[in-house]
Amino acid sequence: MPPYISIGGYSDPPRIAHLSLEAGSGELVALVGGPGSGKSNLIKSIAGIRSTGWGSIRIMGAKPGSIRAREKAVFVFQNCNFAPDLIVRTQLERRIALIRGVPVRKVRMYIENWCEEMELTEAAKKVPQQMNRSQLQMLSLAPLVLTDPLVAVLDEPLVNLSSISISSVLSTIFSLLENKASVLALVQSKSPLVKRADRVVNLL
Amino acid sequence: MRGRNTYHFRESINILLKTKWIGPYLLVPPILAFIVYAEAYLSTHGVTGIFNIEQRTVLAIWNGSLLLTLVAGIKSCMFFSGIWESSWFRNSLALPVSRSSGFWGPYLAVLSVASIIFILTIGAVAAALPEPGRFPLLQIIAESYVPVVWAVSTGAFLGILTKGTAGSMFFTALLLLGFLAGFPLARLPEWLYAVIPPVGRLMTLGLKYPQGLIQMLVLILHSAVVLILGRILFGIGSKRR
Repeated sequence: MPPYISIGGYSDPPRIAHLSLEAGSGELVALVGGPGSGKSNLIKSIAGIRSTGWGSIRIMGAKPGSIRAREKAVFVFQNCNFAPDLIVRTQLERRIALIRGVPVRKVRMYIENWCEEMELTEAAKKVPQQMNRSQLQMLSLAPLVLTDPLVAVLDEPLVNLSSISISSVLSTIFSLLENKASVLALVQSKSPLVKRADRVVNLL
Repeated sequence: MRGRNTYHFRESINILLKTKWIGPYLLVPPILAFIVYAEAYLSTHGVTGIFNIEQRTVLAIWNGSLLLTLVAGIKSCMFFSGIWESSWFRNSLALPVSRSSGFWGPYLAVLSVASIIFILTIGAVAAALPEPGRFPLLQIIAESYVPVVWAVSTGAFLGILTKGTAGSMFFTALLLLGFLAGFPLARLPEWLYAVIPPVGRLMTLGLKYPQGLIQMLVLILHSAVVLILGRILFGIGSKRR
């Protein structure tokens, strides 16, 4: 079986010279780099929305950007996960229904319950500009809980979160790992995920 | 997978129904009403040279079409440029959606909104004015719809190619050129009409009978070419950036 995430000889000059890593089932890999180290470009390359340049990237053996890769993975970007003019809950419903391949009405209840549990019911009825960063970040992470992905690639998932929210996100990530998913977290060195990762790869 | 092809269409429709996007379309009916009344006034005083009520109905339909063409083209430029430059749209392509839907979804959404406004506007004109017996009304309506399709297609291409304001200005200039080139006084070499969108020519021919079927086909061809170019640009741009 191929590794869930495989990056070989990736480079993004002048930020990243040569990066190779593999993440398998149930493994949390922390990719550590400071601001401007090329993390956001890397997640875009893994998601297939930016050309890879040098090197190769595979998700479950599939090319980034291919529908096979995107079906199995959830990508959480550091910013701009939602359209600025639309109510976040509606956007979440469509996304989660899309990833799960079911009609929107079938996911409404799950989202409602999750928002209630996270105390985000009121926040989710707003557009992104009306929320604080912590609420927005938590809502961006909802697909991790509500879609059971095999691969999750997260760019700074704990930034802007309160300590309570951090522990909630950490427990989400660990339950994903228990379900044999593979998680690649792109973080800065002080992130709590660095201490808990199975492997830490430094970008510089 | 369910919703793979419709995701961007639905998101775009939701955005386009916001006041910011739908508002300018609402200016079309009052402006059109003013133009129709002004033309009727001028006609009765013998200024325009159009005395025939049938021609006035056809002219009103074409006025509505051209007004809508202007608004739809500008809005299409602004919308495509806006979503193309936005990070959320780019990030949404990481979802398990069909990549083509990133182009066709917003395109069909803009076209749907423009078409609904077209139906309402032209429907109101056709209902308010007497039916032009000598002219086949459905054919006139079909012909006057083609510039709207052309506007949305050109707007999509220009919106991806450049910034919204620049695209809108270019589009307005192109429409004006196409409009003026159709006037009977304009004397241009015949081959130039294949390059300039024949919007004005289609309209001036539309006021006669039989109508400019060839001009309609040329404009459809123009729309198809800019759409294909837009799709190619989208494909290249979505990988490069």
